[in-house]
Amino acid sequence: MLVKLAWNGMKSKRKDYIVLLTGLVMAIAIFYMFQTLALNKGFTSDYAMINSMQLIFNVGSVLLAAVTFFYILYTNTFLLSLRQKEYGVFMLLGAKKRYIKNLMFVENMLIGIIALIIGVAVGIGLSALVARLIMGQMNVSLDGYQSFYTPSMLVTFGFFLFLFFVTSIWNHVRLSKIEVLDLVNADAKADKTVMKEKANIITIIAGIISLMIGYVSLIFMEQLREIGVFSSAIMTTLGTYLIFSSFIPMIVKCLKYNRKWNEKGIQSFTFSQLMFRVHSLKKLLATVAMLIALGAGAISGGLAFKNNGEITVDRTMVYDTTIHTPSAEEENIIDKIPFIEESEYRYKADGEFDYFLKEDLEDQRPLINTEMVRESTEVKRLEAALPDEKDSLRDVQDKARNGSFEMEHEWSLFLNTLQDTYTNQPLIVSQNVYEDIESEEQTVFVGKTDDFMAYTDQWAALDEIKQEQMDTETAEESYGVTSKYAMYKSYDTVATGTVFMGFFLGVAFLAMMASCLMFKVLSGANQDISRYEMLRKIGVKKKLLERSVYKELFLVFLFPAILGVTHVLIGMNMFSFIIYEPYYRIWVSIALFILIYALYYLLTVKMYKEMVLPDKDV
Amino acid sequence: MTYSVVDVRNVDKVYGKKNENKYRALQDISFSIHEGEFIGIMGASGSGKTTLLNVISTLDKVTQGDIEIAGTNITAMNQDALAEFRAQKLGFIFQDFNLLESMTVYENIALPLFLQNITGKKGKERVENVADILDIKDILDKYPAIISGGQKQRTAAARALVHDPNIILADEPTGALDSNNAASLLETLKQLNEDHNVSIMMVTHDALSASYCQRILFLEDGDLYKEIQRTGTREEFFKEILDELAEAGKKKL
Ligand SMILES: Nc1ncnc2c1ncn2[C@@H]1O[C@H](COP(=O)(O)OP(=O)(O)OP(=O)(O)O)[C@@H](O)[C@H]1O
Ligand SMILES: [Mg+2]
Repeated sequence: MLVKLAWNGMKSKRKDYIVLLTGLVMAIAIFYMFQTLALNKGFTSDYAMINSMQLIFNVGSVLLAAVTFFYILYTNTFLLSLRQKEYGVFMLLGAKKRYIKNLMFVENMLIGIIALIIGVAVGIGLSALVARLIMGQMNVSLDGYQSFYTPSMLVTFGFFLFLFFVTSIWNHVRLSKIEVLDLVNADAKADKTVMKEKANIITIIAGIISLMIGYVSLIFMEQLREIGVFSSAIMTTLGTYLIFSSFIPMIVKCLKYNRKWNEKGIQSFTFSQLMFRVHSLKKLLATVAMLIALGAGAISGGLAFKNNGEITVDRTMVYDTTIHTPSAEEENIIDKIPFIEESEYRYKADGEFDYFLKEDLEDQRPLINTEMVRESTEVKRLEAALPDEKDSLRDVQDKARNGSFEMEHEWSLFLNTLQDTYTNQPLIVSQNVYEDIESEEQTVFVGKTDDFMAYTDQWAALDEIKQEQMDTETAEESYGVTSKYAMYKSYDTVATGTVFMGFFLGVAFLAMMASCLMFKVLSGANQDISRYEMLRKIGVKKKLLERSVYKELFLVFLFPAILGVTHVLIGMNMFSFIIYEPYYRIWVSIALFILIYALYYLLTVKMYKEMVLPDKDV
Repeated sequence: MTYSVVDVRNVDKVYGKKNENKYRALQDISFSIHEGEFIGIMGASGSGKTTLLNVISTLDKVTQGDIEIAGTNITAMNQDALAEFRAQKLGFIFQDFNLLESMTVYENIALPLFLQNITGKKGKERVENVADILDIKDILDKYPAIISGGQKQRTAAARALVHDPNIILADEPTGALDSNNAASLLETLKQLNEDHNVSIMMVTHDALSASYCQRILFLEDGDLYKEIQRTGTREEFFKEILDELAEAGKKKL
């Protein structure tokens, strides 16, 4: 009988359960996807590069697991708040506490299992889709990858069942401590908001100082190194919590004590509600701020890391392509590329030295990177003097062998970049010496476009031809191609993994945190029903009440958003010593965050409104 | 001759939508409340007292008939207009006080004024004025959680009064109070009515509470079957009410 009653109770709150399930399903699906990408054996071994990507996904899984734990804890509180009054009444009517606890336990587990089944199903679809996207990005085939992967499924089931079990037990314990009357009168508690001025000011100051230290550590991460990593993580977090427990309540208080604002319409009510909420939610709000920072940070970190590939190769190699004695096929391709700078240098090779023709180098002075110092790298024309060799071929060779062949450093740097293999020492010789060399003349073509990324197809085609040539020449063992494009590719593989991981981790963080906030706000909504009812009775228009809800929840959502986004904007500095442009497309992550967050805000308002301002024909 | 603040004419209230079980909670009710009158509504549980109060307080719509308050016919108004009307013309006292715990007593009382943009000095004056009348001046800065039940109900009364409504509507205002506090609240209401000429309509179960009124309407199954007017002392009136209730009880046997 009670089971039937409980089931009816659940049915009447269908909407809340659907929201709850959606959140759980998403968490499970993303977790499962990470697991398939991290654990798929067949596909791991085939691609060496993917191994490093899998590590990334493993780290991602651990982080996700941690956040999921909190998420489930909050959804659980919400679940209890949905049901406690009803259970209280059952108990009042004489149902045994043990029976109720078991009922709750079963209900929790049931929801968990339903969520797991749907979640894994969604996860299979999601991982198939994402794997295809990643593989497409990296131009590798999907062989060996299975989106329906039993070990991943076992891990997911194991982890979540454990989690649901723990939270069910936790509910069990909580129910044991609560008295019947507490359950029945769960909504009739008075909310006290006492603030001690002096202690508060100290907390505010401490909060601001910790936050400043945290920010400074983030900005000067390069100088502080390890200390910076620790101090920024600890101080920023500490600062955030302190600010939320002192500064934000003070801001609300100031709003409230501004007579003009407070006495406008039902603003006094809005601010009172806000004050109460900020007090009861301060820890959660601080956590949300931190996770917004992590989530948005993960997304923009991934993007910046990926973007970094292009910049890195651009700075290490000035020319987009280097082709030795282009074949007709290669000529064909490069003819169609609009180079903004191209040169062709003649040289001869004799197995010991590469002899470059001085006149060619003189006539077509190349571009080089000034120094490899990262910050100040700049492409410039090579102006250094060429060696003024009057010696015969013999003398040149002797000098080179005993190390007294003199050449400007910049020239040898440049010639090194031209060479295919590093076994031959490059030399520069004038026309008459060059003519004495018996080897066959070769050329090397270098070209630079205005946008390396615009011609990736061509670079790939050139690399492929090159690879074929190398395979036929050296039958026994072929090295990989060492072109700019190949370098870019290998970087990009890791980066792509990072981007996807950052993206999904970020989205999962943001969504879970926003929904934690939502569930927490909604679990308190019962207490507010009578307040809104009373206001409606004394003649407050429904529109005004709705506006009050919008405003109050907007501010609740706004505070952590501001702090979280500030954390990200400052925190990205942290990457400045491994990534050239850490702020690359930061707006993408910010926009994505705002979108997700706004959706949750609107959903929260809608559900809250439905709870406290039910539609009546009045 | 005083004019009437509330005019109820041939009002019917039927609960239940089309195709549902219908229940006629009010049946062809007509009466008026004169300005400055303290009127009580009595009747057994389920007789329609709250329903009557709700239609008069514009919280619920009548099925048939007209209600005029302070010269305005409220039966044809839309939601927003009704809300505005309530905010300006009506004052409410509820059984369970309905104070907002997160706001001070002052803010609770001043809320109806804020709604009408009466703020600052002018608002303060009026709040202090009613607080004075109801003897809660000393607790204006406190929060409802720490004041007594009687003080809570007087705060609620102050909130109902502060914006000078045409009529105060009270549904079992003494229901949650002990006899001392109840008597003190009723004294206050009576005083408001006599000294400040405030019109009051009060729903009550309790004969003693009802004896503070000048006139009492009796409801039974949605039918206004009797009214008695106070002529002598309160004690006499109290007996009269008890007799009437006994009579009604006998009929049921
Ligand atoms: N929303 C509603 N829908 C259907 N029937 C209703 C509704 N509200 C009240 N009723 C019915 O109308 C009748 C009158 O109810 P009302 O609440 O006015 O009684 P009451 O006199 O205030 O009783 P009490 O003294 O117990 O408060 C009751 O039979 C009740 O069941
Ligand atoms: Mg009633």
